[in-house]
Amino acid sequence: MEANKFIVPIGPQHPALKEPGHFEFTVDGEVVTDATIRLGYVHRGVERGTEDRTWVQNLYLIERICGICSHIHATAYALGVEKLAGVSAPPRAQAIRELFCELERIHSHLLWVGVAAHEAGFDALFMYSWRDRETVMDLLEGLSGNRVHYSCNVLGGVKFDIDDTQRDTILRGLEFLEQRTQHYLDVVTNDAAFLRRTRGVGVMTREQAIEYGTVGPVARASGVERDVRVDAPYLAYDQFPVKTITDTAGDLEARFAVRVRELFESYRVIREILDNLPRSELAAKMPRKIPPGEAISRVEAPRGELFYFIKSNGGEKPERVKVRTPSICNFGSVGRLTIGHQLADAPMILAGIDPCFSCNDRAVYITRNGDTQRWSWDDLCRYGVANAE
Amino acid sequence: MKISGMLSDLLRSLFKRPATEQYPFIKRKPPERLRGELHYDPSNCSGCMLCMKDCPANALELIVIDRKAKRFVMRYHADRCTFCAQCVSSCRFKCLNMSNEEYELAALTKAPFTVHYGNESDIQAILEAVAPANTEPAAKA
Repeated sequence: MEANKFIVPIGPQHPALKEPGHFEFTVDGEVVTDATIRLGYVHRGVERGTEDRTWVQNLYLIERICGICSHIHATAYALGVEKLAGVSAPPRAQAIRELFCELERIHSHLLWVGVAAHEAGFDALFMYSWRDRETVMDLLEGLSGNRVHYSCNVLGGVKFDIDDTQRDTILRGLEFLEQRTQHYLDVVTNDAAFLRRTRGVGVMTREQAIEYGTVGPVARASGVERDVRVDAPYLAYDQFPVKTITDTAGDLEARFAVRVRELFESYRVIREILDNLPRSELAAKMPRKIPPGEAISRVEAPRGELFYFIKSNGGEKPERVKVRTPSICNFGSVGRLTIGHQLADAPMILAGIDPCFSCNDRAVYITRNGDTQRWSWDDLCRYGVANAE
Repeated sequence: MKISGMLSDLLRSLFKRPATEQYPFIKRKPPERLRGELHYDPSNCSGCMLCMKDCPANALELIVIDRKAKRFVMRYHADRCTFCAQCVSSCRFKCLNMSNEEYELAALTKAPFTVHYGNESDIQAILEAVAPANTEPAAKA
């Protein structure tokens, strides 16, 4: 039957996603029978780059790993370095960092709702959710002066304070967003045409979610209670806790519902932070040289668990910074979940994990003699391990 | 289940004015904390060079002419700057600040991107010492 095998290659440059990734779907008629993924097209050598820069300079390089979750990367790095230096940021700085994290989650999830709706051909939802995302972008711009790379962190604390006018602006913005989010929750769970693209598509059971090593909202949509903010609170998450939002269905609809419902949790926690913002300094003093040692820091990025390993040899520059982003954990599930579905559902299932290619391309995988174009599940696992080492 | 969840949004939008802003004819007020072009005031500077060391983009050069007399010249490469404001928070003497109005920095030549701050005569001396006669002076005190 080998002769009848038909493979549809998609990417690395393709109209659906803005970032490069190569997919090959083996199809039988319209049904996908096998899927392989190849990553590594946006490898930028960030990890090596960190070894040539000072601890402070790295904060801004690290922030540029991702254009959507820039703050959470810088926070994870700052937390790791502070742990190595034995310094902890003052309570007000911790709370402001958490506030930025949650505002960032709101903008990331609204962006994702739009992109995933666009993949489904529902461009009205795409345009409206992105219009409303501007509200939170404006809030972030008002707080930090920048829409994307807020640069609110410094080692040992934050740069910006929040005053009463800004507090009121944020609360006003949240009120509008909450109202709109309620509307979107209604749309993604009730719109008949949209549900035909999402309900029962890409179903992942709880066992599968654990086996494929998924993290973040993807895992939570399959009923896995996994959230670093709850499991190992960092920043001020023990003072201003969030609830884990889970769903049991495990299909695309559940992934929509989990992310949209997480927004309400973010609105609630932001209000709580603004009402009880601790009073303290904004930054603690950090040494220029960081004592030798190794530190691990884990945070919950909008896409799931973000992991940093930082090693210092006592100098002004890190010896090693290792980043493992949530997308690499979730990619494995795409190859498995598309099997048995229509080819037209494949972009939706891919978009369902909220892939961030630039984030996850930390290693390039080359085999000189052999077919490098197609990666099996085993290859992906090996890539993940190479990424982790 | 609804036939179309967003039909009312779409119908309402038919009767709305276009949302496009007429930039550059009508400019929006920039946010208070916008990080635009960097400005340097040598009067309080101690010449500690922390701004230079911390800059992630190597956009700053602090040239010390006479530390005691506070004669410093700052060469700022706006084209390398990532506008992160790390230098502003690193400076203990508040010599640096970022303008929230000067954000339209595009130019057709590279010259306007090298900005010198400091005493007029010091800048002249540095420019004459470093640059050959044919380079256009880019001083902007």
